[in-house]
Amino acid sequence: MPSPPAASRSAGAAAAVARRILHPSSLLPPGTTSLKPCLRAATTTTTHAHTTTPRHHLPASLPIPTRTSSRPYHSYSHPPPPGPFTPTESLLLAAAYRHVPTHGFSASALALGARDAGYLDISPTIVPDGVFSLVQWHLVTQREALAARSVALFGDGQKGPNVVASRVEALAWERLLGNAEVVWQWQEALAIMAQPSYVPASVKELAMLADEIWFLAGDVAVDPTWYTKRASLSAIYAAAELFMTNDRSLGFRDTQEFLRRRLQEASEMGNVARSVREWLSFTASAGINVLRSKGVQI
Amino acid sequence: MAVRPTQLRRALLQSPSRLRQTAPNTIQHPELQHLLSAAPSAFSSACPFSSTITTRTQNTPDYAVPNPSRPTHFGFQTVTEAEKVERVATVFTSVAESYDRMNDLMSFGWHRIWKDYFVTSLNPGFSPLTSGLDPRAPQHILDIAGGTGDIAFRMLQTAHVVNGNPDVRVTISDINPAMLTVGKQRSTLLPASQQAALSFVEANAEDLTRTAPLSPPGTRTPAPTSTIPDASVDLYTVAFGIRNFSNIPAALREAYRVLKPGGVFACLEFSKADAHPLLNTLYKEWSFRAIPLIGQLVAGDRDSYQYLVESIEKFPSQAEFRDMIVDAGFVVGGQGYEDLTGGVAAIHKGMKPRV
Ligand SMILES: C[S@@+](CC[C@H](N)C(=O)[O-])C[C@H]1O[C@@H](n2cnc3c(N)ncnc32)[C@H](O)[C@@H]1O
Repeated sequence: MPSPPAASRSAGAAAAVARRILHPSSLLPPGTTSLKPCLRAATTTTTHAHTTTPRHHLPASLPIPTRTSSRPYHSYSHPPPPGPFTPTESLLLAAAYRHVPTHGFSASALALGARDAGYLDISPTIVPDGVFSLVQWHLVTQREALAARSVALFGDGQKGPNVVASRVEALAWERLLGNAEVVWQWQEALAIMAQPSYVPASVKELAMLADEIWFLAGDVAVDPTWYTKRASLSAIYAAAELFMTNDRSLGFRDTQEFLRRRLQEASEMGNVARSVREWLSFTASAGINVLRSKGVQI
Repeated sequence: MAVRPTQLRRALLQSPSRLRQTAPNTIQHPELQHLLSAAPSAFSSACPFSSTITTRTQNTPDYAVPNPSRPTHFGFQTVTEAEKVERVATVFTSVAESYDRMNDLMSFGWHRIWKDYFVTSLNPGFSPLTSGLDPRAPQHILDIAGGTGDIAFRMLQTAHVVNGNPDVRVTISDINPAMLTVGKQRSTLLPASQQAALSFVEANAEDLTRTAPLSPPGTRTPAPTSTIPDASVDLYTVAFGIRNFSNIPAALREAYRVLKPGGVFACLEFSKADAHPLLNTLYKEWSFRAIPLIGQLVAGDRDSYQYLVESIEKFPSQAEFRDMIVDAGFVVGGQGYEDLTGGVAAIHKGMKPRV
């Protein structure tokens, strides 16, 4: 994920970026927090639509390849999932996606998919962003599949502050496993996402993933930590995803460990963030008092 | 052709955020409204286009059937469809020689970059690597209003050289033999293999069932001898041509007919930079004040250049034209078009679905 480029490079850098991201959020005026529920409302609509569709009867602990390949979304005969794609794009991208494990996120995969669907080599040229759209297809379908995974993992059990953190980790791990089948192609995908014209869309998708994970984990807090939680999860997820592309351990155990450590660090850092915020608000009010003393009307 | 698509994309695209929505199947363009209300009785059985009628499907709307006496516009004037054909022919016969200079003037030289990007983004001749005997699939490209060959030559370069696929042939079709003749002359500079993959035909884009081989300059156009068959084309391109057509809906339906299922309609045309008021104002000032004057000075032909400027102004907006493409039966990806240089030009694409 190219979002905070530094974050993708190393774990330490990820934490550093997360820390940098923490600052601006604590500077937001109190009114800004009213944005959150609206944002959440926009994403929940699709999420709820998913949890009610009975297309996931998969047990939580199948071996990785079976699970990813049998996920109903990835069949191009399946009705296209909601998302930013037109029906024709969905048709071409779903067909192309089946060739990604062998051909990568490439023009070849797009053309082979078009042939499978009974179209021509030239047909995928109508997909607006070509191979980047194919990467987006992966990101969107994997993100949308999380809701179903969440139900399979946790059922509808009660949610509370003490379970949220472990659920965030479980969901982030689930999402990482969604990359398992294309992990050999993932560095290539990251390079595509890092192209300047695609960075905004890639960052947005990462933010939506972080938001989805916190939501599915049962986080209902609407307070100033809303931004910091999402920002740090984004950074950690991006770093773990990159780590995974070089992970040769069985079942990506090292990646799982990496993820756990980073999330642990971040929760400790949350305390740091709180103190930073307190310091800032103190300084700001002190500054205002100084200005008032000089006769400025505030 | 050495320009990389990503670089071009960065340079050309003004609005990265897309309205990812399926095109609404509604017609809002005032011209279409006007055409929709045109009286069907104006179409008589003596019409020279009657041979096409048999090939058109029965549910072709009336406005998409060429009608020589139906009103349309020629620049800011209202003329009949038949008159427009004549007058457009006069314009392009007159500007054929100065055509390249004209394009440079009207687009500040951008048209070359737009054309490069147009062709690169279509990636003609590309075939996936497969374990089969010959992974490359043959392609037939039809370049409509191909005039002087600008698009066709780029297509051949990309297909034959960049993609190493010699099995790609290009048919250049134009209504105007003067433009085609310039194109044919220019094509003699191409490598022999590319020349062998080119053919030139005279045809009105609104009726591709009646095509004739290019006639030598000064002779009369021979009677139409052949037809472009149904479902025979992989890629249909039209660059800076479609705004000159008398009946755009009819041309779009012909494109649909000749394309194979999965075949792509791709159009490059001047468009509306309305989203960028400053750019729009500057471009309009330039085109309405300067271009006709320069046309007079450079080519001694003010009226033709005046028409070209007015025809850009009369051409529908990006969204309206996309709706016309969808109305003809095509499906689109994303919003169906891509703005170049803030919308001074735009690329529209549509695919013929399998039914
Ligand atoms: C501005 S030129 C474009 C030439 C070339 N495609 C390019 O991009 O340089 C427009 C062309 O459209 C052709 N044209 C106009 N009306 C046409 C019609 N009804 N059918 C086919 N071609 C037409 C003209 O003869 C002229 O060659």
